[in-house]
Amino acid sequence: MVVCIIGLIAFAIAGIFSARYRRLAKEAFSCTFKKLTFRACDTGLDIRIKAHITAKLIKWPGTARFVHKNFERISVLLVIIMLITFAVSGFYAARGVYNYAKFGNCNGESSDDFCIFNIGGAKPHEIGTVQCGAIDCECITPTTNCSIGLNNNSYLDYTPCTGSTCSCP
Amino acid sequence: MTLNTDKIRKDFPIIDRKRVIYFDSACNSLRPKQVIAAMNSYYEDFPACAGRSAHKLGQLATDAYALARNKVAKFINAKSNEIIFTRNTTEGINLIAKCLDFKPGDVVLTTDKEHNSNLLPWQQLEKELGISHKICFSKPDGSFDIESFKKQLDKKVKLVSMVHTSNLDGTTIPAEEIIKDAHKNGSLVLLDAAQSIPHKKIDVKKLDVDFLAFSGHKMLGPSGTGVLYGKFDLLKSLKLFMVGGDTVKNTTYETAEFLPPPEKFEAGLQNYAGAIGLAAACDYLNEIGMENIEKHETELNKTITEGISSIPGLHILGPKQAELRGGIISFTIDGLDMHYVAQLLDKMANIAVRSGQHCVHSWFNAHKLPGSVRASVYLYNTKEEAKIFIETLKKIAELR
Repeated sequence: MVVCIIGLIAFAIAGIFSARYRRLAKEAFSCTFKKLTFRACDTGLDIRIKAHITAKLIKWPGTARFVHKNFERISVLLVIIMLITFAVSGFYAARGVYNYAKFGNCNGESSDDFCIFNIGGAKPHEIGTVQCGAIDCECITPTTNCSIGLNNNSYLDYTPCTGSTCSCP
Repeated sequence: MTLNTDKIRKDFPIIDRKRVIYFDSACNSLRPKQVIAAMNSYYEDFPACAGRSAHKLGQLATDAYALARNKVAKFINAKSNEIIFTRNTTEGINLIAKCLDFKPGDVVLTTDKEHNSNLLPWQQLEKELGISHKICFSKPDGSFDIESFKKQLDKKVKLVSMVHTSNLDGTTIPAEEIIKDAHKNGSLVLLDAAQSIPHKKIDVKKLDVDFLAFSGHKMLGPSGTGVLYGKFDLLKSLKLFMVGGDTVKNTTYETAEFLPPPEKFEAGLQNYAGAIGLAAACDYLNEIGMENIEKHETELNKTITEGISSIPGLHILGPKQAELRGGIISFTIDGLDMHYVAQLLDKMANIAVRSGQHCVHSWFNAHKLPGSVRASVYLYNTKEEAKIFIETLKKIAELR
C-alpha cells in the first residue's frame, strides 16, 4: 500500500499535465482506499511499480536484489521522507503567507528578497509617514492616481529619510 | 522439416517493429500480413452483404464467404455445411449448451481443467434445468485419467465436453479413446479445441467427434472469429440459438420457415471480413504444415523446459516432459508473485507472457494456488528467443 500512497501523490501531480498519469493516479487512489478500508488492492499497481524499479536496477544485481527484498521498507522510508518534506515546506509556506499579510513580504519584516506573492518585486506602498528602515520607505505620489506598474505611470516618489522617518509629499 | 522462422517472421512485422519476444500465443496469436490483407480485401474490394444482394459486389461477398467456409471446413476435414461461424470458442460451447436437448438429470462430464468457457455454461444449466455437471479429475502429474473417466461414464452422461489441449498446462487429452468410449456409451462429445487447432493437425472425421469449437484469434486469424463444427445430422437436430435475418427461408406474421444448418445458426449480418481472414489463416498454416508447427513448438518447449528446470524454486505445472505440453510452459517460482515475474520479463527483455489464472480459476482455487506464469510459443518464435527467456528468468529468480 505504501508505494501506492507515493504513487497517488506523484501521479496526481503528473496527472495535471497528462491524462495517462491521471489514470494511474485513479488506480493509486483506488488501491490506497481499498487498503485503508482493509480490502485487497487488486489493481496490481504496486507490483508494476516494483517491477519497473527492479528492472531498471537489474544491471546491478546486488542493488536490484536489495530493492526487491526491502521494497516495502524503502517505500515506508520514502513516505516518511515525503511527509517530513511536506511538513517542513508547509511550515515555510505558512510563514511566508503570514509574513506577506503582516509585512508585505513573505521573507519577513526587514527582508528585501524575492517574494513569490509579490512577483513584480514591488510592495504595497505606504502613504504617509513610515519608520525609516521599514520596507523601502517608498511613497505613492497622491496626484499620479496610478496602479502599480500600469501605464508606465511614475508611482514611486519618496523623500529620503531624515531623522527617524521618511515622508511622502 | 524445420521451419524457416526467418522467413515466417517477416510476415509478422510487429515482431521487428516492437522488438517483442511474444510468448503469449495461447492467449492471442500474432497475425501475418496475409491475414490482414485478406480482411482488407473485403473492406476495400467488395464490402457488401453476402447471400442477400444480387449486385456484383454482393455476389463477390457471397462467393468469398462461401469460399472461406469451404477452406475452414477443409482445414479440419469437415463438410462446409458442418461449419458454423461464431465469434469465438465460448460462443460455440454456449450454442451447444443452449441448443442440445438437455433434460433434467442429464449429465455433462468435463475435465478438472476447463476454461471458464466450458464450465460456466454447464453450471448455468445445472441451475436452470437441473442437469448434473460432473468432473473427471486429472492424475497428480496433470495428465488425463482415462480410468477415472471410464468409471464415470454411465448412461446418464449425455455429453462429454472437454478441453482438447489445456490452456493451463498444455496437456492434451486422448481424444480418440475418449470419443470411442463415449460413443459406446451413447454419449455425445464436444471438444474445446481452442488450444489444439492452432498447433496440431485435427481431422474431425478421423476423431469422429460430434462437436468441436475453436477460435480464430489463437490460430493467426482475426479477433472475434470462431467456428463450431458439428456433424450435420446433429446440427439439424439442435434447437434454435439466435434467430433473425438470414436464418429463415420465409416468414409470415405468425410463422417462420428456417434454413438448414449452418445458416439457421448464423443470425444477422455476419463478420465476413473475419471469416475471410480466418480462411487466410488456415491457408497460411496449411502452407507451413501443422506437423512442422507442432514439431517446432515441441522443440522450443524442450529447450525452455531444460533451461528453466534447474532454477531453484521453479515448478512447472503439468507433466515434466515438454513433449506432453505442446507449446505451453506454465510455472510458478517460490517467493515471487506471478504478475511481478511477468512484469519483469516484459520490462527487462520485452518478453510478453501471461500471468494469473488463465480463466481456469476453478483449478487454481482447488489447488490453492494464486496462479502461474505462462509462456506459450508458436511458429514465429525462435531458439534465440527461448534462450533470452531462460537467461532473463534466471536473473529474476536470483532476486529472491
